[in-house]
Amino acid sequence: MVNATKGLFISCDIPMAQFIINMNASLPASQKFIIHVLDNTHLFVQPHVADMIRNAIAEFREQNSYEKPT
Amino acid sequence: MGHGEKGRPGKRQKSSAKDDYRSAMPEEDEAIYGEEMEEDYRDGDGEGKKKDFSKLELKLDHGNRPLWSCADGRIFLETFSPLYKQAYDFLIAIAEPVCRPESMHEYNLTPHSLYAAVSVGLETETIISVLNKLSKTKLPKEMIDFIHASTANYGKVKLVLKKNKYFIESPFPEVLKKLLRDEVISRARISSEGPGADGFTISKAMGEVGVGHNELLNEAELAAAAEEKETHSFEIDPSQVENVKQRCLPNALNYPMLEEYDFRNDTVNPDLEVELKPHAQPRPYQEKSLSKMFGNGRARSGIIVLPCGAGKSLVGVSAACRIKKSCLCLATNAVSVDQWAFQFKLWSTIRDEQICRFTSDNKERFRGNAGVVVTTYNMVAFGGKRSEESEKIIEEIRNREWGLLLMDEVHVVPAHMFRKVISLTKSHCKLGLTATLVREDERITDLNFLIGPKLYEANWLDLVKGGFIANVQCAEVWCPMTKEFFAEYLKKENSKKKQALYVMNPNKFRACEFLIRFHEQQRGDKIIVFADNLFALTEYAMKLRKPMIYGATSHLERTKILQAFKTSRDVNTIFLSKVGDNSIDIPEANVIIQISSHAGSRRQEAQRLGRILRAKGKPQDRMAGGKEEYNAFFYSLVSTDTQEMYYSTKRQQFLIDQGYSFKVITSLPPPDSGADLSYHRLDEQLALLGKVLSAGDDAVGLEQLEEDADDIALHKARRSFGSMSAMSGANGMVYMEYSTGRKLGPGQQKPKPKDPSKRHYLFKKRYGSQDLSNCFSVCAKARDCDAARVIQTGHMVLPSLGVGSGCHPHLQIGVMMLVYPPVHVYIE
Repeated sequence: MVNATKGLFISCDIPMAQFIINMNASLPASQKFIIHVLDNTHLFVQPHVADMIRNAIAEFREQNSYEKPT
Repeated sequence: MGHGEKGRPGKRQKSSAKDDYRSAMPEEDEAIYGEEMEEDYRDGDGEGKKKDFSKLELKLDHGNRPLWSCADGRIFLETFSPLYKQAYDFLIAIAEPVCRPESMHEYNLTPHSLYAAVSVGLETETIISVLNKLSKTKLPKEMIDFIHASTANYGKVKLVLKKNKYFIESPFPEVLKKLLRDEVISRARISSEGPGADGFTISKAMGEVGVGHNELLNEAELAAAAEEKETHSFEIDPSQVENVKQRCLPNALNYPMLEEYDFRNDTVNPDLEVELKPHAQPRPYQEKSLSKMFGNGRARSGIIVLPCGAGKSLVGVSAACRIKKSCLCLATNAVSVDQWAFQFKLWSTIRDEQICRFTSDNKERFRGNAGVVVTTYNMVAFGGKRSEESEKIIEEIRNREWGLLLMDEVHVVPAHMFRKVISLTKSHCKLGLTATLVREDERITDLNFLIGPKLYEANWLDLVKGGFIANVQCAEVWCPMTKEFFAEYLKKENSKKKQALYVMNPNKFRACEFLIRFHEQQRGDKIIVFADNLFALTEYAMKLRKPMIYGATSHLERTKILQAFKTSRDVNTIFLSKVGDNSIDIPEANVIIQISSHAGSRRQEAQRLGRILRAKGKPQDRMAGGKEEYNAFFYSLVSTDTQEMYYSTKRQQFLIDQGYSFKVITSLPPPDSGADLSYHRLDEQLALLGKVLSAGDDAVGLEQLEEDADDIALHKARRSFGSMSAMSGANGMVYMEYSTGRKLGPGQQKPKPKDPSKRHYLFKKRYGSQDLSNCFSVCAKARDCDAARVIQTGHMVLPSLGVGSGCHPHLQIGVMMLVYPPVHVYIE
């Protein structure tokens, strides 16, 4: 019997993979979304989390970039 | 284009947006130009507030005119215009430079800048007519009104120092009455006579012989009107001068006071016979800044802004030579006091007995009636008890009427210290010198009334083009975090270690090592590596086997290391903590690698760049089109995806505003460098990570430095305990580092207790063994501590074992010294 899981395949750079892993780790067990860490730059996650990850990364980036006040 | 797109916001295109459209548009096509301009305007204006300039009326011959002026006081200057030089000189006098990239400058008209314009002798009508002549468009009515409103009251009131008394002078008695209605000013007034009519002292004075800003386009008429005028004046309390000045500024009563010193006609104060030596040839921009100061034959107070390495000291010395009166020169620390004294002797014909240094080690006095005194801000402002000798000197400084008060590095001195210095010393004219008129705490505006308006500010890029300062390639090297380090960085429990983690990022280390090797071996450069983080400084320096200097390095060792760096071919790289930001003068260095820094401090970035700005190589190579396009390099290593990115961008703002652009380098070290560089293998990286994580939170933090390190701070601290050992110098500040359970007062801020792992390696080796040399090295570590001085003066120091009586009760370390025979150490 073949078991198939639908999910998202994420490929990113090393630090961002760590960021997502860290995000996953901070969530309670029921909300964990990573199905498999494939290697340093590839993750397999549940299908519904794409937007959440995008927003989290955008926010993280925002914190680390400076805009000159006008 | 410009900062329009978001995403990774505008990082890759760091040079200011205004650079771009120049290349994008053909110069002859003015119509397109207009639109470009307008687009930029929208960009710069930010969200929503789009302005429509399509109806802006262009003059027929607008192509020949270099300025765009906007109703909100902003002015844009095309630097490729043939009139650029003249327009620049004019604009710098009337407006504040906002941003000066290569092709297009932005300026802003502010009340302060107009105040400065009036005080250098420009008149309202001149400003408006010249501006109108230079502008491509008709001057907006708002701008004209603004100039009128801001300048109407200027020049009506003057602050004059006569025979050690301050007077407020004006030809208009009604203005004085108005001023006296103000509470602050009326309180500051000293009435000498009884209730007279209005009590003003009336005197006849020669009218102004004003020389307009006439070099400009033959625009202004020479307004020479020498006639007898009546002036009215009243005396004010010297201690209130600053408050009164502040009340008169544009944001309060709006009668800004002019301070001028008619030094040629000053017969009260004795002359100082000095001339510039013939070989002292001021450069064009130095001449220009001096001409702003001495525009009408009198000396004006104000600030001159020149980049580091552009010859500020020659400007200072020339000013002193023109005024030819006694001069008090203030510097930030003892090292620069020596440098200033040297500069005076180098450039002027001053005789040795006319110049004296007044520091805690050097208490000289000049002979004769007039002379130059070089001292530090701390020495003058110091409030505590002094030795008899320095008390006498200070008394002399206070009682003298100084022709010129020369203040170096005005941006670093805290405002309260300035106030004290300025209220203590009576001077006819104050000249402030600095390279970076920015502070993160925005206290720069205080300088406007404490010293005076900004008289001149040089354009960095023009100086680079002229070959007066080095042409620096600035680069930001992006180092991705390694997997393990970034995982730790993200953990909440490591929030205090974030800085240590991104500084110690192995990729950054490898990039740093690569750059050092490249510049040492390929180009034979001299390299300074800056790290604010002491933990990182030590780790890097130890691993790469390079000498380092930080706060606790003794004067002796510093001199030795710097000497080796300057002369030896084997020492090409040194590591500096932030002690190297300002005072250390290393003209040989031409590469800076910055691995960690003080958060987002723009000033630090500019000062560090200043370390390598002194022009290098042959002049013809430096000019545009010479052999070397760049002869100095400034690298800032940044770990991507961390807070450092934020700080780094913020820090660069000042330099970007000066027209520098930062190149982003992403592939350092090159992928094929492999095991040549350190931390190639994972286990090495993990060992490093373990080290960072196991170090205490405070050990990985920033270095704590007494900002204005001067001996006085130390002496003040030591007075609080009066044990025998303190008197003999055995109980120096060095022991304080190991004391526990005692809160250090603000005057005693020493580096925090040290974690053994980051102790200097020399120190670590000797620590614990108790032989004679041990004591010596411990003593020598204590900067300026008396024990160290005792050794230098040749007294015998004997070690004793264990903790004896008379020792500090909280002392935990067993090494104690007795000075034998007991000597009295003179403190201050």
